[in-house]
Amino acid sequence: MTVSVPPVLTLNSLSKRFGDVYANRAVSWTLQAGRIYALLGENGAGKSTLMSILSGRYQPDSGGIQLKGRPVHFQSPAQALEMGIGMVYQRFMLVDSLTVTENILLRGGPIHLRANQDIRHIRELAERYGLAVKPEMTVRDLSMGERQRVEILKLLHRRADILIFDEPTAVLTHTEIEGLFAVFRRLRAEGKTIIFITHKLEEVMAVADDIAVMRRGRMVSQLPADKVRSRHDLARLMVGREVILNVDKPPVTVGDPVMTASGLTGPAGTSRPAFQDIDFDVRRGEIFTITGVAGNGQEALVAALAGLAPLDGGTVTFGNHTYSAARWRQRPASGMAYIPEDRDRTGSIGAFSLVENYILTQLNAFGRSFLVDRHQAEQKTAEAVARFQIRGGGILGPAGHLSGGNLQKLILARELSRRPDLLIAEQPTQGLDVQATEDVWQALLRQRKTSAVLMVTGDLKEALSLSDRIAVMFRGRILDIVSARDTADIDRIKLLMAGIEAH
Amino acid sequence: MGWRIEKRPAVSARMPGWVFPASFGFAIAVGACIFAVLGVNPLTAYGVMLKGAFGSFFHFSEVIVRAIPLMLTGLAVALAATMLLWNIGCEGQLVWGGICAAGAGLFLAPHLPPFLVLPVTIAAGAAGGALWALIPGVLKAFLAVNEILSSLLLNYIAIIVMEHLYFGPWRNPEGYGFPGTAQLAEAARIPHFFGTRIHLGLVLALILAVVLFAALRYSRWGYRVRAIGLNPQAARYAGFRIKGQIIGVMLLSGALAGLAGMAEVSGIHFRLQQGLAVGYGYDGIIVAWLARLNPLAVPIVALLLGTLIVGGEQLQAVLHLPASISMVLEAVLLFGLLLSEALARYRLVRRPAAKDAPTTQGEAPS
Repeated sequence: MTVSVPPVLTLNSLSKRFGDVYANRAVSWTLQAGRIYALLGENGAGKSTLMSILSGRYQPDSGGIQLKGRPVHFQSPAQALEMGIGMVYQRFMLVDSLTVTENILLRGGPIHLRANQDIRHIRELAERYGLAVKPEMTVRDLSMGERQRVEILKLLHRRADILIFDEPTAVLTHTEIEGLFAVFRRLRAEGKTIIFITHKLEEVMAVADDIAVMRRGRMVSQLPADKVRSRHDLARLMVGREVILNVDKPPVTVGDPVMTASGLTGPAGTSRPAFQDIDFDVRRGEIFTITGVAGNGQEALVAALAGLAPLDGGTVTFGNHTYSAARWRQRPASGMAYIPEDRDRTGSIGAFSLVENYILTQLNAFGRSFLVDRHQAEQKTAEAVARFQIRGGGILGPAGHLSGGNLQKLILARELSRRPDLLIAEQPTQGLDVQATEDVWQALLRQRKTSAVLMVTGDLKEALSLSDRIAVMFRGRILDIVSARDTADIDRIKLLMAGIEAH
Repeated sequence: MGWRIEKRPAVSARMPGWVFPASFGFAIAVGACIFAVLGVNPLTAYGVMLKGAFGSFFHFSEVIVRAIPLMLTGLAVALAATMLLWNIGCEGQLVWGGICAAGAGLFLAPHLPPFLVLPVTIAAGAAGGALWALIPGVLKAFLAVNEILSSLLLNYIAIIVMEHLYFGPWRNPEGYGFPGTAQLAEAARIPHFFGTRIHLGLVLALILAVVLFAALRYSRWGYRVRAIGLNPQAARYAGFRIKGQIIGVMLLSGALAGLAGMAEVSGIHFRLQQGLAVGYGYDGIIVAWLARLNPLAVPIVALLLGTLIVGGEQLQAVLHLPASISMVLEAVLLFGLLLSEALARYRLVRRPAAKDAPTTQGEAPS
């Protein structure tokens, strides 16, 4: 039956090269209208490049695109959108200080002044697709989920038929993800085509009609989702071999608290403080996780604990010392290592070599004199590269050329080598492929044998797989701390994340 | 078939080798057009410039004399810019270097043992520039005041203070009313070489270029400076004290510019007088950028600019062209570099003309 329907989009042998590296090699793909496609692949498999070609950001070196039977050449994202292909990037392209409506109407070139008509159209679309968001709100005040809805509305308002999403669930909570999938299904019912990039296999199983898998720049398989029997099948398709998804969690005796936070409160900005009355302790031998919907204060709390942002009230006991909120930032820097969420912009310097990045947070360990001990730095980096199997260029090559997973492993190696009493890991596997996630998880589990680990993650599966105890934050407060061993608590955690404190 | 310009995917930290020759060639070509417009055969003009700069040992020594302050201010700008600080205030720092060197040479020297006079004069010059640069440094570090504006505006204040001094309290009483201080004693003058006006400043500048290069590349301090310049957010994460670094780097940058002023006063003019603030501070910005902030390239670029300045003066003397011609050439050279640098990030690719280029008529669903 599907054979008789002409495809909405056909990619014919697309290739794209960056320097000597083929990001896409002879990629062909046929897509039908009214279906949801999941695009899978490890980091660096070429998914983002392919989607950037489809959305007009890159031009292919060879091969062509046919849209509704006509060959098209996009010179820019604006042209692609004009033709009905729009993309929602992982980092939202919204102006924080403008309202939802203004963001949706914002575009290059002249803006037609028929705002009332447009607003009516936006309201209509929001209603039709279940995209609840208030048009007059300023984007700055929106949650990540709401911002994503604005992005979708922006595309729908411009009459996009093919909507591309780059890891749309990475910043969403469990409930928000389900909401997004409901929107996907409504879009499909209206005959729209959805392509979404993901690393999460359960999402594929939940919503996709078709699955396409890329590996090393090539399209390696395309199949209907119902042909896939298990998540292991998919994982095998992605990495080309069996990967373990169940985490071995060797038991570790839990020791004394390394850090105790009491009554921590963040500085009050224009509204209420980002976090309030935070009490918890992290003990040697455990992974203590703070989870919650993005934007409920975890980010600000971690920044304050890491000493990058001020605290307004409360005390922190670290090791044998108790610090007041004001003095916490002036404490000696040793004893704590921190893996920040943004590995490209905070955790590393792209133009620096692997060696230079390896010494970033431990400069004093490399050379006592005026000079950096380059020999020692290179030796240690080479060891770390070997031990963590960091691939991509030599140790003197720029870290900016590493893939996300390899960069994260470099940062991890660096922070672990500081032999911290407390390791703070913030969204440690966000955007990583299956193999890299596995590596990072194993490293964190190993680390809790020698230190306390404080993990902050929005990925419930990650929290449940690794943690010993889980604290759930909602609107700046810790609602409860539950044991991760008790499976009955899992549903409760979901409720707590939504702010429901029922017992 | 058509041509289109495409952004290069890999942004390399290194500039392709052709960029500098290309921008230099561009400057020569545009300069030739300007000469033609002025009614001078470009070949004649460039001949005069070359002869003026390299015609004899004496001529070339003048090129070096001009290059010395350019080397020092070029290093000053390059150091600050490595940490993303825009020190546009080298002119003012140079002036304060001159004021303090002159002050030390005139008023401290009589009270000092002779062997200390020169070191104190040199140190006073460096300190003068450093302290003047401290103002925008502190404003930037603690009050987030934009250092481009504050350092630039302080230039005018420095020049007015200098003029006040040599027109007023420091004016030479035996100077027949000419504006300027008395001459520095021999002991407060830096040594000269080869019977020319080439002075100790050259040795100082070359040593400092090497030291700065090595310090930025191999020292822990230099690592921090480069890290902050490339990614302040990561530097903050690494726990670097950014405020302290800003102040330190501005002090050093100002000291380098101050040394340029000291060298001009103590090596060329032998007094504080008109002609100290002739734009070496601003030219330092051009030198630093043409050298791509590489301290080792700074002396070479400074020599090139010195050639332009001396050659330009010859155009005025021999062909009666306006002296500002050398400034025009400098400007064209800088624009040429900026242009080629931008172009280096793109490439020209040939591709079939898009017949089905989308039109503004969208494919809106009915």
